[in-house]
Amino acid sequence: MDAVRAFLRHPSGMVGLVVLLVVVVIALIAPIVFPVSPWEMVSAPFTPPGEDGLLLGGDTLGRDVAAGVAYGARVSLVIGIASAMAAMVIGVTIGAISGYFGGKVDLVLMRVTELFQTIPAFVLAILLVATFNPSLLTIILTIGAVSWPPLARLTRAEFLRLRNREFVEAALCQGEGTLQIVLGHILPNAISPILVVTSLTVATAILLESALSFMGLGDPNLMSWGFMIGAGRTVIRNAWWMSVFPGLAILITVLAINLFGEGLSDVLNPRVSRRRS
Amino acid sequence: MSEAVQAKAPVLSVEGLSIALPEGGDRPFAVENVSFEVKPNEVVCLVGESGSGKSMIAHAVLSLLPKSVNIAAGAVTVAGQDPAKLDRQALRRLRGGEAAMIFQEPLSSLNPLKRVGRQIEEMILTHQKPMPSAIEVHERVQQLLTQVGLPNPKLLEKSYPFELSGGQRQRVMIAMAMANRPALLVADEPTTALDVTTQRQILRLIDDLRRDRGMGVLLITHDFGVVADVADRVVVLRHGKVVEQGTVEEVLRSPKADYTRELIDAVPKARLDEIRRTAVHPTPLLEVIGLEKTFRVKRGLLQPPREVVAADGISLTLYEGETLAVVGESGSGKSTLGRMIMRLTEPDGGAIRFNGQDLRQLRGEALRQARKQLQIVFQDPFASLDPRQKVGDAIARGPMAFGTSRTEAMEQARKLLVRVGLNAVAADRYPHEFSGGQRQRICIARALALKPRVLIADEAVSALDVSVQAQVLALLAELRQEMKLAMIFITHDLRIAAEIADRVIVLQKGRIVEEGATADVFTAAQAAYTRELLDAIPGRDFFDQPGFASVTGALSTARMSS
Repeated sequence: MDAVRAFLRHPSGMVGLVVLLVVVVIALIAPIVFPVSPWEMVSAPFTPPGEDGLLLGGDTLGRDVAAGVAYGARVSLVIGIASAMAAMVIGVTIGAISGYFGGKVDLVLMRVTELFQTIPAFVLAILLVATFNPSLLTIILTIGAVSWPPLARLTRAEFLRLRNREFVEAALCQGEGTLQIVLGHILPNAISPILVVTSLTVATAILLESALSFMGLGDPNLMSWGFMIGAGRTVIRNAWWMSVFPGLAILITVLAINLFGEGLSDVLNPRVSRRRS
Repeated sequence: MSEAVQAKAPVLSVEGLSIALPEGGDRPFAVENVSFEVKPNEVVCLVGESGSGKSMIAHAVLSLLPKSVNIAAGAVTVAGQDPAKLDRQALRRLRGGEAAMIFQEPLSSLNPLKRVGRQIEEMILTHQKPMPSAIEVHERVQQLLTQVGLPNPKLLEKSYPFELSGGQRQRVMIAMAMANRPALLVADEPTTALDVTTQRQILRLIDDLRRDRGMGVLLITHDFGVVADVADRVVVLRHGKVVEQGTVEEVLRSPKADYTRELIDAVPKARLDEIRRTAVHPTPLLEVIGLEKTFRVKRGLLQPPREVVAADGISLTLYEGETLAVVGESGSGKSTLGRMIMRLTEPDGGAIRFNGQDLRQLRGEALRQARKQLQIVFQDPFASLDPRQKVGDAIARGPMAFGTSRTEAMEQARKLLVRVGLNAVAADRYPHEFSGGQRQRICIARALALKPRVLIADEAVSALDVSVQAQVLALLAELRQEMKLAMIFITHDLRIAAEIADRVIVLQKGRIVEEGATADVFTAAQAAYTRELLDAIPGRDFFDQPGFASVTGALSTARMSS
């Protein structure tokens, strides 16, 4: 509760949170405001913003850019959050096992992690998506699969720090089992930095998804920001609005998530929050 | 204690000092209307428990107070100047020039990335005008290192702080403080983090330097033993107010305030005449046979690893219902011994027999069952409780892990909390709401929740204030009787060992150098090392003047009658 109250007093964190909430609301009400599918042609191609009843203009096929941006928010948020969760599950599990057991297990798991870290994430993501059929699920899993290494390293470091603390040893002497110690004592004390990094992973996941869609590797049934930029980029000199509005949407959303994540980090880090209060 | 000092003007005078705390604190003033003086060539001890405001005064002397607190009334005068009124330039000249300070933890007061020689040089270069030549400075550093009794100054000045021992680091700090021949030395708990023997050496060093240079020393401590050893005058503080001040003789021999008397009484004094001899059942409960452990610390790529021997063939027997103290300096392997018995550290060789089983052979469930009967209380009450777990849960977790129902375990936890002197409602609170002493009580309750037969107390009272220490020791003694516990009490403080133990084992570098009944070890130590440790007990001469004579008498009669 203290953390919530401290967060409410954190200026940039609150800006991030408010903007993020606006994006969430837009995503939620998209079908009400734009009852027509964003894939429908509703006007003449190349309608500039403001004309023909289209707030943000129409694209090369006369589809409503505003509707695309609103529906794109749903895709970006779902993919961003779901793949960050996937990355967290993979990363925390591997990091926890590695940090708690140490020794050979740690050695093997960390070499695997390094293998993933040395391959550029985007190249690996393209490879994975191209191999499987691009769909919402495969894209989420792909992004999760390339984003977990930083989380694994962080979790491992936290576990190494906490594993030999006296309260963990006391729990061991009390006869608590390994799972109980890990879930009941170590993880709750390591969760703050993990949450912060996960929230920042949401932002990179949105960027990754946009980049994949831009390359035409997104789910073909989903109207996403990256796809819109990709489709509009060839005509950017005479119809700037087709790429600029989805681009702005990405910029604002990612910035908001980063602000939120940094605010969270300040609040959850006891040294900083104590200095503020 | 010299007589010639009386006439000289004081190097430090504190007059009616009040320091205001930020609003919302537990009291409005950290320090209230405090007055005292330090004359040249005089050691004044500021004594009090944690939270008494003694460190605040030290910080005010060098104008080091945090921004949130400020001086509300009164004045501090150091060598004729008021540090609070000085501009930055003058303040810099004062700090480290006229007045120098040494802190409790020498490792965190030295820059870890700079060689110690450089750090002392810096101290000289910032203060000496005109700037002395490099050769002069170097010579001065060598001279200072020699003066503080560090061996091989040539090699030492090129070392980094982490390469030195705690005592050596504190000596380096003192060398830095001495670099500009200060008139006043402020020492804030300079030996609290050190061993008894090192403590004695450091105190002696400060005392010698003071005599040589006639400087005034303000020594802050919570230990009346230290006071008895070095102080000329004593100022006793409680809740920021001066309770009593006067010469050592006056304050320690005939304290006027009740609080001072309480504090003096709380000092464990190795009162051997009061040792109760518990009826020890001659049934061995725990046997340690030839335990071996060597830690290997990797150094550089080409250097051989450094080997630290923590246990070199340790054998001991713990009988039912007895308290065995394990004493030694830091690095003697005493904590490792406790941890090896708990199987928290894996020994290299030897056996630990408990209940007819060798603990070292046990794995998994069998080990869990055996551990239930052996419990440990750690040194640091702040690190040994999970900050995110309620106190009641912390105590109930153990029995629950062995199948007790939650309601029953919580019920039991509340009872235990009451038994260790806390309120039953404490069960629903988090550890950070408790003080160090209360936390240590919680840790004891947690250890006892499983109804162990052996309790290992690893420096369990070392982090506590003297008066709290005495209470916790009394609690442990009671519980021991009540629950028929056998206890291994690991401590570096021989006074505490004497107070609580039936038998004592003295460890040095992983070997047992002496073993015997407490009274025998304390009155007729065989090993030279034990005698060294005994001599290093702070305030021993003072407190034991009448005590030790009668002890020997009492013991000889006790021996004859038994």
